[in-house]
Amino acid sequence: MDRNALTIPALAVAVIGTLYMSEQLTAPDQPDSKVHVKYWEKWTAFEFDAMKHVVDSFNKSQDKIQVDILSVSGIEDKTLMAISGGIPPDVVGLYGENVTQYADNHAVMVLDDMCRDAGIKRESYISPFWDAGVIRGHLYALPSTPATTALHYNKALFREAGLDPEKPPRTIDELNEMADKLTKRDEKGHVIRTGFMPGEPGWWNWSWGPFFGGKLWNGKDKITLDSPENVKAFEWVQSFSKKWGASALQSFKSGFGSFSSPQNAFMMKQNAMEIQGVWMYNFIHMYAPKLEWGAAPFPTATAGVPDPTVVDMDVLCLPSGSKHPKEAFEFIKYVQSQKGMEMLCLGQKKITPLRDVSPGFIENHPNPYIKLFIKMAYSKGAVSTPKLGIWSQYKDEMSSAFDAITLMQKTPKEALTDTTNRLQPMLDQYLQRLHLRGEL
Amino acid sequence: MKKIGRREAWAGYIFASPWLIGFFVFMAYPLVASIYFSFCDYSVLKPPVWVGLDNYKALVNDDLFWTALKNTLLYAILALPAGMATAIILAMLLNAKIKGMAVYRTFFFIPSLVPQVSLAILWMWVLNGEHGVLNPILNPILNKIHLTGPNWMGDPNWSKPALVIMSVWGVGNAVLIYLAGLQDVPTQLIEAAELDGANSWQKTRNVTIPMISPVILFNLIMGIIGTLQVFTVPYIMFPNGAPARSTYFYAVYLYDNAFRYHKMGYASAMGWIMFVMILVLTLGSLRLTEKHVHYQGS
Amino acid sequence: MKSQHKENTLQKFLVQTALVVLSIVFLFPFAWMILTALKPLDETMTMPIKWIPSKFLWGNFLDAIKYGHESVGYYPFLVYARNSLVLCALIVSGTVASNSIVAYSFSRLRWPGRDLAFGITLATMMVPFPVLMVPTFALFRHLDWIGTYRPLWVPAWFGSAFSIFLLRQFFRTIPFELTEAAKIDGASEWRIFRTIVLPLSKAALAVVALFSFMGAWNDFLGPLIYLLDQKTFTLSLGLQFYQSQNGGTSWNLLMAASAMVIAPVIILFFFTQRLFIQGIAITGLKG
Repeated sequence: MDRNALTIPALAVAVIGTLYMSEQLTAPDQPDSKVHVKYWEKWTAFEFDAMKHVVDSFNKSQDKIQVDILSVSGIEDKTLMAISGGIPPDVVGLYGENVTQYADNHAVMVLDDMCRDAGIKRESYISPFWDAGVIRGHLYALPSTPATTALHYNKALFREAGLDPEKPPRTIDELNEMADKLTKRDEKGHVIRTGFMPGEPGWWNWSWGPFFGGKLWNGKDKITLDSPENVKAFEWVQSFSKKWGASALQSFKSGFGSFSSPQNAFMMKQNAMEIQGVWMYNFIHMYAPKLEWGAAPFPTATAGVPDPTVVDMDVLCLPSGSKHPKEAFEFIKYVQSQKGMEMLCLGQKKITPLRDVSPGFIENHPNPYIKLFIKMAYSKGAVSTPKLGIWSQYKDEMSSAFDAITLMQKTPKEALTDTTNRLQPMLDQYLQRLHLRGEL
Repeated sequence: MKKIGRREAWAGYIFASPWLIGFFVFMAYPLVASIYFSFCDYSVLKPPVWVGLDNYKALVNDDLFWTALKNTLLYAILALPAGMATAIILAMLLNAKIKGMAVYRTFFFIPSLVPQVSLAILWMWVLNGEHGVLNPILNPILNKIHLTGPNWMGDPNWSKPALVIMSVWGVGNAVLIYLAGLQDVPTQLIEAAELDGANSWQKTRNVTIPMISPVILFNLIMGIIGTLQVFTVPYIMFPNGAPARSTYFYAVYLYDNAFRYHKMGYASAMGWIMFVMILVLTLGSLRLTEKHVHYQGS
Repeated sequence: MKSQHKENTLQKFLVQTALVVLSIVFLFPFAWMILTALKPLDETMTMPIKWIPSKFLWGNFLDAIKYGHESVGYYPFLVYARNSLVLCALIVSGTVASNSIVAYSFSRLRWPGRDLAFGITLATMMVPFPVLMVPTFALFRHLDWIGTYRPLWVPAWFGSAFSIFLLRQFFRTIPFELTEAAKIDGASEWRIFRTIVLPLSKAALAVVALFSFMGAWNDFLGPLIYLLDQKTFTLSLGLQFYQSQNGGTSWNLLMAASAMVIAPVIILFFFTQRLFIQGIAITGLKG
């Protein structure tokens, strides 16, 4: 008997076995008596656990629907691919800023009717958290957890610099002055601590313009990034590079540890003041529980935008092509109830988007500044991401303009004009193509 | 005889059929389809809509397209020669008859076994301006000439050189191919040169290099194709081409357009421009090297 | 003669020195990776740099495997490793099987249009992946294959230019007398391929297998586009997940995980490198 004769059949069996296994790994779960709702969420760690808790309590509250939650990284891109591939999840937890692009592509469903039937109304919400889900008159998204931002500052460093730790800056001039006092250099002249750095944490680089009264676009068809207010805002941003040296600042910043780590610049006392969201408390609590810190409204730059804050939120949507939209909406409805929402928001230690707050929510909330963050949501200076279908490009462009400005490669005027000139044709083309498809 | 010929031809087609099918399904069809898409507005979620030359016109006026192209070409101009020179030198060293050569060969090949993702993560760690490990090593030397190690990842002037260093680190694949080429050089030729009194440099210059010139050409062409497509490492290390778009490469912009901005038509147009570019560069280098490449036996 | 001997010794010494120095340079980032993997977290970011960990935490490797277990309910590292292995097995077997068959046809069978087809095959090496990215995505979407492994391994079963080229070069070096004799005895082409050509080509097949294994093991863009569910990710995609999710928080675990991804490949290469270089040498990339 030829020994080799068996080799090929044996290999073939092995390959077929592997093939079978590979199919099993990507096969959908076996059906059972319940309707399974596939839910993709971006969170990990304790934020994920908080949502998992809500999901479990929903699953226990009835016996027909089972929500399976999955943590997915890069969710804003993956979901679009899954929808276009015809295998979307049934519910997806997107970022609020993704909604317009999704809605324009009809990648998520209109929720108007379902909300009406379920009695979910705009009046129940603090308005920016409802309005962020409304695109061209239709509702596409409901909030999961909301957030507002405020100036976080280090009280111990304030004291050290001879400042009153109970008096955070109220105007930009005061902020500048205090930042100077808080900044420290070593004997060689290297910056070893900054009082304030506009690029840290760098998550809302686009928001400086709106904080100074600028508009990112006219809401219809024109990019207005090069308006005088925006330019003024970024001149202020650049003043920090001028004062302390662009490259010195850059290399100082490159030594910062990542945000959610004990090496975070704010917790390491390398940066004395920075803009952060309501979640910052969690990380301080985890990594630097001894830090003496305070939170206050970011100083007002212009009378038109008092107590400026970025209102940001995570949302729940129903992807188009979802196999169980009704059951999925049952789950969304559960999350939107006061009980479900507060369970989630308390679990993630954020604010609630609902106007009605249960007794005990604030008292039980570990963040000592929770009232401030709720108040910020009602602020006249609240700024949200614009409802632009090209927002992901806008944001990318903005962050490279921000680099060019802080590295002193361009003047703010140049950088913003260049960016406007880049974005305007993109917007024109985008709108023209929406028109072509009969959307407008 | 005729019958055998026909049987053989049939067998030939059958044996070649996997590739013939693969060629039409995974190569020819996508190529043709991507020409078509490049004239369309196409978001995958909707059927494509014909827009004529719009995408190409928009590309010409797209600064970021030019930035990405410029970055990519600059990177190729730096990385290709550096990588090729390193690879040839290493291959020659590794071709010597010395004890423990298997170990050395493995050492130099290890970096190219490192998955690109690990490689990116590892080098982010090595190059970090403050906590990185490279600058503390360079600084004692650089300080003597009153310099300090650059902020590799944060300074737009140094981010590309950083990537070049990383690419040189991963030349193991090419080394292996050169090494195989070197082992093919007939020893009689080298011995003959030695009898003529040639020194090491002359031997290398006049015998070895011409003998492995086809391998060099092969690696050059593969190198052109590879470096112009550079994606994974910058995509992971430098989100959004930071700092200031200095590491925003062609393939990254193409990916962003296709899968983040959902401008598949635009991305297809970019793909075609890239294809034509590679075609021109490859044919160009074949043409230019025609006289210098020496084929054994011809 | 004596002076020549002297020169050789000197030359060997220089080569040896150069190799040692360059080895250190090349292995340095790697050593740094291992050292970081063994450190306690608070020693990964110290100024000035702490080279040697105060204590060697071998448990970091175990922690890297366990990492993420609590929040997702499975061991991500092990799941990713299994996925990578399954996928690699399918890709490598497909590459070897399909390309050897096709290369046999291109090298040892005569059929009309063969040389033209081979020329076109070589030309396809110049087609960059990004050009094909969009239409192939659309194609697999049409087949409802997004989110499965099929888009990643099925094409491997239909040949690729580079491997066909390598194997064709090699098959051509097998003396034709060997196969002609079998042909006259009435052996079928399949039988000749399997009993004569394949057994003589182990080195070349090993080269093709190793190249395709490395390509599959390292592939990032393919899984990034086609895999959706975190549980189906491969190691190369999964590693990035560790990183973007957790930033610099646990550099030590990240490095430990990376080291574990690389180790098997290095060991494999160390033991096969001679066969491997031979394989490439014989195939002779001379066109």
